[in-house]
Amino acid sequence: MKKFSRILIFASLIFTACSSEDEGSGNNEVNTFDRGAMLENWADNIIVPSFDNFKSSTQQLEDLTIAFTSNPSEENLVALRSQFESSYLDFQTVAMFDIGRAEELSYRRFLNTYPLATSEVESKIASGSHNLELPSSFTKQGFPALDYLLNGLGETDAEIVAKYSSENYRNYLLDVSKRINSLTTEVNSSWQGDYRDTFVSSTSSSSTGSVDKFTNKFIMYYETFLRSGKIGYPAGAFTGTPSPINVEAYYSVDLSKKLYLQALKTTQDFFNGKHFNASQTGKSYKQYLEFLERGDLANDILSQFGTINSQASNLDTSFKSQVQTNNTLMLVAFDELQKGVVLLKLDMVQALSISINYVDSDGD
Amino acid sequence: MRKIFLSAIIGSLTLLSCTSDDTPKPGANNIETPVNYTFERDNSSTVDYNGQTTRLQMSAELFSNFTDFDNASEELLLNMFSNENSPFENASLNESSKSVKSKVAASSLYFSANTVESSEIKNDFDSYISGQFTTVKENKDVLAEAGVSGQIAQGSSVRYVNEKGLELNQAFAKGLIGGFLADQILNNYLSKLVLDEADNRSNNDAKVLEEGELYTTMEHKWDEAYGYLYGDPSIPTANPNSKLNESDDRLLFNYLGQVDANENFAGLAESTFEAFKTGRAAIVAGDYQTRDEQVAIIQENISKVIAVRAVHYLQGGKSALAEDNKGAAFHELSEGFGFIYSLRFTNNPGTDMPYISKEKVAMYKEQLLEGNGFWDVTPETLDSISEEIAGAFGFSVADAAE
Repeated sequence: MKKFSRILIFASLIFTACSSEDEGSGNNEVNTFDRGAMLENWADNIIVPSFDNFKSSTQQLEDLTIAFTSNPSEENLVALRSQFESSYLDFQTVAMFDIGRAEELSYRRFLNTYPLATSEVESKIASGSHNLELPSSFTKQGFPALDYLLNGLGETDAEIVAKYSSENYRNYLLDVSKRINSLTTEVNSSWQGDYRDTFVSSTSSSSTGSVDKFTNKFIMYYETFLRSGKIGYPAGAFTGTPSPINVEAYYSVDLSKKLYLQALKTTQDFFNGKHFNASQTGKSYKQYLEFLERGDLANDILSQFGTINSQASNLDTSFKSQVQTNNTLMLVAFDELQKGVVLLKLDMVQALSISINYVDSDGD
Repeated sequence: MRKIFLSAIIGSLTLLSCTSDDTPKPGANNIETPVNYTFERDNSSTVDYNGQTTRLQMSAELFSNFTDFDNASEELLLNMFSNENSPFENASLNESSKSVKSKVAASSLYFSANTVESSEIKNDFDSYISGQFTTVKENKDVLAEAGVSGQIAQGSSVRYVNEKGLELNQAFAKGLIGGFLADQILNNYLSKLVLDEADNRSNNDAKVLEEGELYTTMEHKWDEAYGYLYGDPSIPTANPNSKLNESDDRLLFNYLGQVDANENFAGLAESTFEAFKTGRAAIVAGDYQTRDEQVAIIQENISKVIAVRAVHYLQGGKSALAEDNKGAAFHELSEGFGFIYSLRFTNNPGTDMPYISKEKVAMYKEQLLEGNGFWDVTPETLDSISEEIAGAFGFSVADAAE
């Protein structure tokens, strides 16, 4: 009986397929995943609160920078450095959201392009003139610049503080902090304002719809910034030669691994639709896959995240020291991350019928 | 899942029911394979593989310095390998951002999630350079003996070997044929991971060209594969086989020619070129089935070049050892060692994996180099490795030995 009805269905479908194309397919809607609800969860429970939190963090960073530059003491340096570290960690919770105003502003490039062009920063400081709004200044500001200015100017805190007797150093440091805060304010207010609705209402499943667009951003973040930026470049995964200078937060002691783990956690939480700073979860890639009866794939992805996390426990708290002492462990981390790229960039997007429109590989 | 399955069935049923019966099968359709490797758009060539040519030139300059103990140095060659600190005579190479080393064991298929092994392989090549300018150079005026590096005569030529009897320049060059060229061609540019990456197919179907270029991304990837085989400046782009066994190439194209010259493998160069042309034409026609059939031919042919030369040199080494001509024997075994190294990068299109597993390749290398290496390797060892390789590829040891 079942067989018979299937044949009937096929027959009618064939008929439909051969008839004219302008009959709308009326009952497709019933069986589709609610992409709008997923976008709402992403925006309201993850992106907006993450930026809101980060905004407070960068405000605090600016305030403490003002405190330090108006009174350059070791005590103020320690307080500012501690805020820098916590802001840099908070940045990892918003770094992937390179869409909307953030994309227009080249927000991520201004906040976290590394390695820093250290000698150019020094010559800008020496000249007393700089314009941090120029695209050519991507490599001279943001968190990498703070990392250098708070950690790399001397062997001891006293030596570092001594540098700030110069007004040029004070001005540069202050401008870097202010710019991080002002750019963040701008991105945050776009999400507080109209952009949230624009993002959430663009539910179409085309390359211009928010789900498709952001999925490209999400996977690119995972591949280019998490895998290559934090692990691959320092490990020399593409050149065969480890490159410590490519480590994120190069001048800080023991910050690089924390940044990596925070970024990793953020991507994993996003996959799960986990609300910012809460344990609750909502509509997500995971649920989308389960809806499409691809819970197997969702499990594979989660289990790969598990492998990546447990591998990370073998890594030194300083990636600079890791690539100099036992780079193989960094390469293993890279390889596990790459397995995740394959699951997300090939299998997941295929299941979700999303087309990837960026290319990571370097051709000739 | 069920939905996808159903729609697939429906799709195929629809196709059957709606098209007429005399439609040619895909593959026989619309493909015009040109006589030469010439592809144009608006009367301009769409073929470009200058990056491959650059890397082949870098390799050639590196090899030419490998035994120049008077003028070259470890540092210079390592710099040439990674293109750092302007090491090349040819200034345009210094200006390039490319390097050979970054493309060694770097294919998407075999190494993108396997950088640990990739890094070990890159280190092997570094170590051949370093060994040449330390242990071999130190003894360049000493006669080599078991366990001692130095000179060894082959007829009127002087060869320099390490303490195992291995010529490191041969290990390096022949290893690159697999580790660099075959890996890039077979496992990178011709792999579906690269040809069909992102929206390459839809862009190719819609003839979306790369920004500022005359080619689609997929066309270009194919040409880059072509360039690693045929990209030496002495080889004409349009009809490379017109220079078969006459070009300045000393890598893959050279050995394709040598294997083709063995009557048991005659036609290999022609069929490889045909496959490159047909596959490129298939891409232009958007016929991916035909494209993939050509990929399989190229993967099999190039893999076979490596295997035939590996067996050829092991057998040559065995014969020379039997005549107690150690200089000749070590030279052949050194080339053979490099080709065996290269087997790890072959691609069996049936499995998309090497014809011989990396574990077996590692075992062969160990068997050849254990103890004093070539000084005490036995004919039995050379035969058993030869038999295994020939068996995996389905030719006979005798055929390859010619």
